[in-house]
Amino acid sequence: MDLTLSPDQLDLRAGLVEFLDAQWTPERLRAGASSPTPDHDSWRRLSELGLFGVTVPESAGGMGLGCAEAAILCEELGRYLVPGPLVPSLLAADRVPGVLTGDCLVALLDRRDPTAVAEHLPNATHLVVIEDSGLLLHPVEGLKSVVAQQPLDPLTPVAVLAGPLGSGERIGSAQDAARWREVGAVLTAALQTGVARGALELATQYATERVQFGRVIGSFQAIKHLLAEALVRVDLARAAVHVAALTLDDPGAGDSAETVAAAKVLADDAAAANGRTCVQVHGGMGFTWEVLAHLYLKRAWVQQSAFGSADEHALGLAERLPDAMLQAEAE
Amino acid sequence: MQLRYTAAELAFRKALRAWLAETLPTVPPAPDRDDWSGRRAYDCAWQQRLYGAGYAGVDWPAEHGGLGASPTEQLIFLEECARMRAPGVGAGFVGLLHAGPTLIAEGTERQRARHLPGILRGEEVWCQGFSEPDAGSDLASLRTSAVRDGDSYVINGRKVWTSFAQVADYCELLVRTDPQAPSHKGISWLILPMETPGVQVRPLRNAVGSDEFAELILDDVRVPAENLVGAENDGWRVAMVTFSFERGTAFIADVLESRRLLQETARIARSSPGPRGEPLWADPGLRRDVGRLTAEVCGLWSLILKNVSEASAGRVPVQGASVFKLRFTENRQRIGDLAAQVLGRAALSVSDLPGADNSHIVEDRLTTLAYTIAAGTSQIQKNILAERALGLPKEPRWTSR
Ligand SMILES: Cc1cc2nc3c(=O)[nH]c(=O)nc-3n(C[C@H](O)[C@H](O)[C@H](O)COP(=O)(O)OP(=O)(O)OC[C@H]3O[C@@H](n4cnc5c(N)ncnc54)[C@H](O)[C@@H]3O)c2cc1C
Repeated sequence: MDLTLSPDQLDLRAGLVEFLDAQWTPERLRAGASSPTPDHDSWRRLSELGLFGVTVPESAGGMGLGCAEAAILCEELGRYLVPGPLVPSLLAADRVPGVLTGDCLVALLDRRDPTAVAEHLPNATHLVVIEDSGLLLHPVEGLKSVVAQQPLDPLTPVAVLAGPLGSGERIGSAQDAARWREVGAVLTAALQTGVARGALELATQYATERVQFGRVIGSFQAIKHLLAEALVRVDLARAAVHVAALTLDDPGAGDSAETVAAAKVLADDAAAANGRTCVQVHGGMGFTWEVLAHLYLKRAWVQQSAFGSADEHALGLAERLPDAMLQAEAE
Repeated sequence: MQLRYTAAELAFRKALRAWLAETLPTVPPAPDRDDWSGRRAYDCAWQQRLYGAGYAGVDWPAEHGGLGASPTEQLIFLEECARMRAPGVGAGFVGLLHAGPTLIAEGTERQRARHLPGILRGEEVWCQGFSEPDAGSDLASLRTSAVRDGDSYVINGRKVWTSFAQVADYCELLVRTDPQAPSHKGISWLILPMETPGVQVRPLRNAVGSDEFAELILDDVRVPAENLVGAENDGWRVAMVTFSFERGTAFIADVLESRRLLQETARIARSSPGPRGEPLWADPGLRRDVGRLTAEVCGLWSLILKNVSEASAGRVPVQGASVFKLRFTENRQRIGDLAAQVLGRAALSVSDLPGADNSHIVEDRLTTLAYTIAAGTSQIQKNILAERALGLPKEPRWTSR
């Protein structure tokens, strides 16, 4: 048992961080938040890094790594608020041609969601529908949808599907669909951990600069304690995400139904609460479009609704509780 | 990163499990909560069994009589004991987790030879005399004085919240040896034999109704100068060494206990009628709350694995310990509230009521009131994180604990 990052994992992370530091500057995010046209150039560059093929076997052009590595990378993508259908691309890279190279953009719809709103549909080339019975692929061309004029997160365009979908091409079994839901929940939780951390870092930075009453506000305990609580949420979410990703990579090492649900609950909470904390610590500036605080909170809210809400996962955990007990005693 | 245990670790777990399965049925029932001499005898007897089986001082270095186990083996040890409901350290807590390790790190050969074997064999019980009525979070402001007189120190003052003082043989005592020096520069760490004339123990009743801790009145108490641990006036640093042993693995059993309490809450809610006759468990709000707390318990366990991994890599998980303590103590209190909500009016009694599983749940709920206070309050943990992990400016005149 070892939950520290290996030298290879540290290198992998450092490589992405270096790229994001140069590419995903606050200026670029601000520009992206004010423009409806997607940043295709940056998307292609992410694909050139090999990002979408992390878990794709090397023989198929990927890196052949596990969910754990994908989660480590997703935390950084979340932290830099990188926009785009990241989790769908990571999931679909091995079965939808063109995703690996960044040429095709995939939007997702889970039939369990009562409202058929799909993120990034306005820019996508394909839509994958997750049904309990399997995965279905539709070209976006020809699908009827209504695009939201003003999406909640300005960097996450959304559309609602209007009219019947047609049958689509079957690209995965019921088992694949179940796996997508689990991996999708964990990778979204990893993005959320990153959002939580980015919000904490931005707020901490501001707390060491803004002066009121002749002192930086970070010397006031009311602010310190808000930030300490935010740090606790990040660390707890990250530990849960790593354990969940590891149980998906090695099913014999743990109970993924439990670890995945826990990761999504804790990471959703961390992202939303830290987004709010970030707004609050910035005071009036936090309510302006210019400061990125609102983008963290909005991204958190978007991702809370993906791959099962915290409440749904919590209910699942509660229902399994008596069984989990039997299992623990029998072990 | 990986979750699997090594073959050696699995073998360690298996042997321990077999020994526990064989030994636990022969352990007598635990004594009553306030039978202090009974509790001491019970805890010491268990420690003797561990000693006999080679499991005493799992994390102590082998050259000092311990098992010299790795952090992961220590985790396995505590996890298995908790899972099989073996007795905990109880009265042995301060000796095994604080005083012993402090003597190993800072004591003289003589002090080690005198005390370590007794602690390991469950023959010697210690308590901790750090806090005072006017020095809790601000520990460095402590005033109990020790004045050198020939080969002795003469101690005067008062300590408070001293757990297990009634049955302890020795006390790890922090005293002021230089009243002129800045507050944390004039403190020393002394071994106080509790039998010394002038030591008076006054039990204090806690919110549960038990007298688990006590006040120590120290009136011209004479202690040999050779009982000084570390250098005179260097006691603050020694105390920080002591604290570093307190953190880390102290809560492993408690997290498994949290899980049990949630499972029990679910079980009671399934069999208890709600206001409209349907089982309480039919309420999705209740199930959601149970599920959210379960998610936290699961995350806390992952955090333990992370902290143990850090320790195995040779890093002291200071940040991890504060992060863990903050969330764990809060979570545990909320579980207590939820369990009480499910018990309904049966939660109005700390003693058993007919037909209700109330007593241990209500007692646990009360006990956990102390969790966010003892061993550094939540506010102090947040200060530590904000200043050490996030690099925010120090509190004005904050002395650190
Ligand atoms: C069950 C139990 C067992 C204990 N056992 C022992 C023992 O065996 N030996 C021993 O020596 N001690 C023991 N203690 C004492 C324990 O270490 C202290 O209670 C603890 O450190 C807090 O100190 P205090 O009680 O004086 O509270 P105070 O320091 O008076 O704190 C009161 C309130 O003020 C807050 N506060 C204080 N300073 C700050 C600050 N700088 N910023 C923000 N808020 C602040 C605290 O968080 C708290 O909410 C025990 C305590 C309990 C509850």
